[in-house]
Amino acid sequence: MDVLKPLLVGFCFGWLLQRAGLSRYDRIVNIFRLRDFAVMQFMLSALVVGALVLQLLAALGLAGAYPLPVTYVWGVLFGGVVFGAGMALSGFCPGTVAAGAGEGRLDYLIPGFLGLYVGAVIFGWLYPLVMPRLVALGNFGPITLAEALGVRPWLVTLIAWELVLIGFYWLERGVRRRA
Amino acid sequence: MNPLRRPAWSPYVAGALLGIVIACSMALWGHRLSGAGAWQHLSGYLGRILVPDSLYWRAIVPTGITWDVWVIVGGVLGAFAASSLAGTFRIRTMPDRQWTDVFGPSRTKRFILAFLGSMLTEIAGGIAGGCTASLAVSGGAALVPAAFLFMAGMFAGGIPTAWLIYRRR
Repeated sequence: MDVLKPLLVGFCFGWLLQRAGLSRYDRIVNIFRLRDFAVMQFMLSALVVGALVLQLLAALGLAGAYPLPVTYVWGVLFGGVVFGAGMALSGFCPGTVAAGAGEGRLDYLIPGFLGLYVGAVIFGWLYPLVMPRLVALGNFGPITLAEALGVRPWLVTLIAWELVLIGFYWLERGVRRRA
Repeated sequence: MNPLRRPAWSPYVAGALLGIVIACSMALWGHRLSGAGAWQHLSGYLGRILVPDSLYWRAIVPTGITWDVWVIVGGVLGAFAASSLAGTFRIRTMPDRQWTDVFGPSRTKRFILAFLGSMLTEIAGGIAGGCTASLAVSGGAALVPAAFLFMAGMFAGGIPTAWLIYRRR
């Protein structure tokens, strides 16, 4: 396998998380206290720009196949709830642990990495007991919103951009008013 | 000031740049960006010893030094380079602010809660089929409904947890 490509992708990921300050405990927990919106600004910017570039690459005929996440409603929602609780407790998620470790944080490097590893082993052990039944609940398969709604992906991308830009505008206005 | 040395980038700009990286990773190389995946791919080294007949480690998830593992190695290096160039790299064991206000100065407490929290995110990421990077952002860029369900769940779990931790302030 080509090692340089994933190293490059990871390098950009770690660099950008670190510079956006997402490798900090307070930044992550304060999104859940609705006091610091950097996490949402970062995630939603990445999401809409990513969607646009994916569409462009597809239109240019450059896009290959990539695996789509499967929408199994109850498992995804339940996983999301537990994930959010873990994030609010520790102040990081699996990606930002790497970024925090890289800027010298031993609470990320030691218990952070160890917790992720133990969690992955526990999940593997739980898998046969839980996942086949959970994945079967409300499973729509690897669909996209465009397929679900029967519209072109460009339309969904446009609507996502509009919603996110309205959200950012509203957020910045609120922040300025408070300051 | 040279932006390569500027310690704080706008989260809008940093996020937008990550969006380009994610789209290239998916469309050109066929991999969603993942933080949780690496640990699943490494879990088999221990899991296969603990549960030798496990279908999960035999057939469901690959074990090895995969794409996702190299992404995490790159992530540590990238953050090291970014913080070194900005002059913010520093070996430390506790969060810079806010943690000690609610949990006190105990390093043991920080390490135990950091361990539990990160363990929860990894298990939950497995259950949901992805993490912040691979499901919410990469799945979101592919406009998959699960991404938005996952984000709604994250807030539904994170807000009450943060409230419980910070309610006395």
